[in-house]
Amino acid sequence: MMRRWVARPEAVMPLVSILVVLGAFGCSPLLNGKPLQVFDVYNALQGFAQLGLLALAIGLTMIAGEFDLSVVGTYALGGMLAVQLGAKSPVLGVLAALGAGAAVGLVQGALIARLRIASMPVTLATYIALLGLTYAMSGGLSKSYPNSAATLWVDQSLGGVFSPRSLLTLTAFLIAAAVLGFTKLGRELRAIGSDRRASRVAGVRVDRRLIAVFTISGVLAALGGALLSYSYASANPDPGLQPLILAAVAALLGGVSLAGGRGAPLGVLAGALSVAVLAQIVAVTALPDFTTQLLYAALLAVIVAIESPGLRASLDRLRARHADG
Amino acid sequence: MTAADSTRPAPLRLGVSTVGLAVPLLVLGAVAMTTHRFLSLDNARAILASSAFVGITAIGATLVMIAGSGVSLAASQTATVVAMFFLATQQLGLAAAVLIALAAGATLTALQGAIVGYWHANPIVLSIAAGFAIGGATTWFSGGTPVYPRTRAFDVLNGTPFGLPLAVYVLLAVTLLAELTLRRTTAGRQMYLVGENRAAARAAGLPVGRVTVIAWACFGVCIALTGVFLASFTTSATVTLGGTLTLDAIAAVLVGGTAITGGRGSALRTLGGAVLISVISDVLLLRGFSTGIQILVKGILVLAVVVTVHLRTTRGRQ
Repeated sequence: MMRRWVARPEAVMPLVSILVVLGAFGCSPLLNGKPLQVFDVYNALQGFAQLGLLALAIGLTMIAGEFDLSVVGTYALGGMLAVQLGAKSPVLGVLAALGAGAAVGLVQGALIARLRIASMPVTLATYIALLGLTYAMSGGLSKSYPNSAATLWVDQSLGGVFSPRSLLTLTAFLIAAAVLGFTKLGRELRAIGSDRRASRVAGVRVDRRLIAVFTISGVLAALGGALLSYSYASANPDPGLQPLILAAVAALLGGVSLAGGRGAPLGVLAGALSVAVLAQIVAVTALPDFTTQLLYAALLAVIVAIESPGLRASLDRLRARHADG
Repeated sequence: MTAADSTRPAPLRLGVSTVGLAVPLLVLGAVAMTTHRFLSLDNARAILASSAFVGITAIGATLVMIAGSGVSLAASQTATVVAMFFLATQQLGLAAAVLIALAAGATLTALQGAIVGYWHANPIVLSIAAGFAIGGATTWFSGGTPVYPRTRAFDVLNGTPFGLPLAVYVLLAVTLLAELTLRRTTAGRQMYLVGENRAAARAAGLPVGRVTVIAWACFGVCIALTGVFLASFTTSATVTLGGTLTLDAIAAVLVGGTAITGGRGSALRTLGGAVLISVISDVLLLRGFSTGIQILVKGILVLAVVVTVHLRTTRGRQ
């Protein structure tokens, strides 16, 4: 039983992580003595909105066996473009961000797919360049966003717990899940991620799919950045690596493997919700900030342990010796 | 056939990519020469000084990349915690403090190397986990407040013998040591082989785990050296001291032309990469471009080199 679970981490990991985290969230009143508020749920979902699109962006590239570091650069650029061009019309700002994200993703995807080059160094370079571009656009300073109507709109409470921002993020996940689940695209992406040469031979249009994945990844990251800067009413030229790392953690918790070929959007959704709720638990129970970092470290340690072929082999050897003795 | 041979492609095959490398370098040279104040001793010093901190870590990262473990994303956090150890142990004397710092850096990083080498863990996931653990623990123990030293024995490290910061000499020494390790020692030769093809190296009976640990331990020592210099330079250590070290170091390694897939590259190339990044930033600065443009150009440079190196190596194989 246990072994079969470990063999299918993409289904078990997101389920276990979301259940554990939600359980802990439900139990948090035991720690601080205050009952959970509807507002806490709203806050957790806001955290999810901040992280979700980035997690989906990086998760999709990871399923296809790539790792798109540049999403956090696109995220910063999208936020900056939306703030600078969307003062009059927020929709125009978002469209500009989406266009830039698509262009960045398209160029990167074309480079990576056509030249068959590793995505990590390419996207690292793009990340640095995009950061520079965002810096240059803003003079290195945060840019405030004067359109308070848009700021109020994206974060208004819908049904107590949702906001347009978190609903949009959720919708993106559901669309991705539907497209990958009900068309052959999902299987193709996983095939590209697990064995690229074989999927080419089998007739999958690998290059096109890769370019599309990177383009979508750019669009999602830019949308996430634009919505975030509307919400904060300002755009930060350098978000640092933290958003990227958290998005990767969400994807990994969601059962996506860095080796590629495994995972699904609904898993990433569970992973992103877990990360967001975990941060909210730490906030609600007033634990010190570093607790979040240590919890993430512990979760990743579990993932490392599950995913390490060598560790599993040595555990098997131990068990065999035990059975013999 | 050794890995060193494969880093030197045959001269006839280089047409396009040699031009692709030579032209931008010539353009850069021309722009630099015509930039006011570029050709001065002070400016040369500034360039070397600004490449030293990142350069030292980049040399260590080169070994890890050559040995095929790709990259570690925990360099900033490790440098920060080492800096704190260094400042908190100043009263034991400079030598003891430096040794403790180096031991801490080597241990923290070699542990990750062991998990990558023996258990085949994914280095990116593992180093993200390590980054969280180290960063969280650092905040926990420091209480989130800066660490100040009780004595200032470290002032020696800020010295500038013969007009150059001490860190520059350390960078050159580390580069030389790393290059000698890679070329002349068994462990160094094995790093290339493990990086070139891990499965084949294991099948051939090479100690893959041990080689990986050695590469990561060297990386840890290099990160620790950077941490020590950062601490001496800023004279206090906060949890954000490491800053953008992680990616800056990777960028320098990549600009040097070391391939992320492992098996090829050299410490000297990384030194070249670190200096090249500093030269370009310096030229842009002297010509009055903003920080943003400097970062933008750095990114484009990394991209250009990565693509060129990739084209060269794949063409060499066909």
